[in-house]
Amino acid sequence: MEQTRLADVSIKPTSTNGGTKLTDVLNVIYESISDLNMQLPVERRIDKSPASVLFGDGGTLDSLGLSNFIVITEQKLQEFFSFSVDLTEDDPFSPATGHFRTVHSLASYVCELAEKRSAGAL
Amino acid sequence: MKLHLISDFNLETLQRYLVNDTASPKLSVTSAPFGQVFPALLQSAAADASDFALVWTSPEKIVPAFAAALDQTAVDENRLMSELRQFADVLLQAKQHFRSIFVVSWTLPPHLRGNGVLSLRGQGIRKLLLKMNLALAEELDNSGSIYLLDGQRWMETTGNGYSPKMWYLTKTPFQSEVFRRAATEVKAAISAVLGDSKKLVIVDLDNTLWGGVVGDLGWGGLRLGGHDYRGEAFVDFQRALKSLQNRGILLAIASRNEESVALEALAKHPEMVLRPSDFAAWRINWNDKAANIAELVAELNLGLQSVVFIDDNPVERARVREALPEVYVPEWPDDKTLFASSLLDLNCFDSAYVTGEDASRHHMYTAEKEREQLKRIVSSAEEWLLSLDTEVTVEELNDTNRVRALQLLNKTNQMNLSTRRLTEPELLAWQQQNGRKLWVFRVKDKFGDSGLTGILSLEIEADSARIVDFVLSCRVMGRKVEQAMVAFAAQYCSNLGLREMRADYILTAKNKPCFNFWISSGFSYDQKENRFTSPLDQVYGFPRGIAVHLSHSLKSDSVYSNKQIALDPKGASALPLLTN
Repeated sequence: MEQTRLADVSIKPTSTNGGTKLTDVLNVIYESISDLNMQLPVERRIDKSPASVLFGDGGTLDSLGLSNFIVITEQKLQEFFSFSVDLTEDDPFSPATGHFRTVHSLASYVCELAEKRSAGAL
Repeated sequence: MKLHLISDFNLETLQRYLVNDTASPKLSVTSAPFGQVFPALLQSAAADASDFALVWTSPEKIVPAFAAALDQTAVDENRLMSELRQFADVLLQAKQHFRSIFVVSWTLPPHLRGNGVLSLRGQGIRKLLLKMNLALAEELDNSGSIYLLDGQRWMETTGNGYSPKMWYLTKTPFQSEVFRRAATEVKAAISAVLGDSKKLVIVDLDNTLWGGVVGDLGWGGLRLGGHDYRGEAFVDFQRALKSLQNRGILLAIASRNEESVALEALAKHPEMVLRPSDFAAWRINWNDKAANIAELVAELNLGLQSVVFIDDNPVERARVREALPEVYVPEWPDDKTLFASSLLDLNCFDSAYVTGEDASRHHMYTAEKEREQLKRIVSSAEEWLLSLDTEVTVEELNDTNRVRALQLLNKTNQMNLSTRRLTEPELLAWQQQNGRKLWVFRVKDKFGDSGLTGILSLEIEADSARIVDFVLSCRVMGRKVEQAMVAFAAQYCSNLGLREMRADYILTAKNKPCFNFWISSGFSYDQKENRFTSPLDQVYGFPRGIAVHLSHSLKSDSVYSNKQIALDPKGASALPLLTN
């Protein structure tokens, strides 16, 4: 617990002209992956890589795993941004949205939500 | 070990934490379909295949009358208690299917404020929930193998705990962090029931028990107590250690120091909570700490797996972890104000039983130190044993000794023939079968009372008897109590006219001392069968120097021939006790 908090503190939001850096969000997601991996067998643990497939064909997570991952990630994003982020605004289980297909697609989605909030759209 | 989860909500996240956690005990976990708590408890098929059950429910679903309180309508409290008792009755019925059942106490999410200032008054929901948890605890208090776990602590240590989003997404009311904590606590509860709790805390001194280096500052310069936040924190840490001692956990010291200087500080500092007499043993010198710990453990007749080592120095912690991997070395905070809370939060001391022997364990070890001192001044081991004036009292299992007997059976590793672990119902069921006998043995000598420290059980088959359990606490090992127990059982079997007595040794990683006893017991050894056998047509002698007494209830049993067993401690080696 202590180490996680320290790691949280070490990550500061980096903005350029009001934008959110993808790498910062990726780091937050990697911390969520660390937490979630404790629920998974060793051979199914998720790599901390933008290319890791999370949900859908070839993905590691089932609907329960994805739900846990969403709630863990939302908490960490709230600590990071100091505002809440709703990752279920679009149906997370729908193949049509694809936000949770990979780590990279999720990070992009988070950046998009953060940009919208900055612009006053959320 | 197999654990069966029963709940009225989705517990699969907990199941995932439990099965993917590599810490001991390793568990195989099954789940009943959620929402079917009563059928799952009453159906024995899945239950009988499991060792343990965890029952985690929502108060409004098990006690429908409580749902009215959540809806802010009047509650029929008689009905509420009646529904609660019905749940307790089902749990009590279900206990026959499991070694133990763990029931999580009821909690409410923090957003359920009820009527705010009235929530702890009248029929306020928080007051009702407190009453319900208390009533459930009372109903289960004497169940023996059902334990109520404090779910509120799991919530408090994980922030909010509840997650409305998880509920709507998965029918799981809690954040995953709650289940992570629950998995740790459930494993600790199982370890406690299995008797795997830690028995000894070895602490460093400088900057662990007190602030500063005593060799540099002298005891007057230490930070301990006073109007000093850090000094107060060290006093609280010592108090926390003292509270463990009161629970039966032994304390010892491994410190790099001059022994005389460190002991002077312990004896003379006015705010020192722990004095030299509080420690069962110490190694205060400049030797390697791992070697010192190994010596301490051997001196106290414990196994390394029973030990927790606490040191502020990460280098020393790493050294002990590397050299003695069986010793539990918790990570320790740099911040001294967290020492006491870190110690009290460790779950490795959890025990499913608390007995009078636990509270006085420290005094027993103090007496043992005196025995050892005597050993150094007498000329031979035989003379030393005779000088102890050891008395052994034999009892049958009864209501007053059952808890301690179970604890001894389930915790003893070294002098344990079969390492059989049983719950209270299992032990009682076993004992009630014809042809089975179980005795417990209390031991005392001139230095003190070691309490109930031995168990011997027999199964009689045709004309022979098989020793099923042969258990002796390490605190009285090597004082010929082992021989006295075997002699007593042999006499009993001889009186029944049996021809032979045997003991089947089951090897574990820890019970080599038991093998060593039996190999020198005079019984013949069949290596292929790992079996020790002795004919009963010859007297198996009681050891010299030990007086054996029968408890009052045994004296009235005709099998013991109405003969008083009060041996002359200085008498002959083969005393004709219990013979017709």
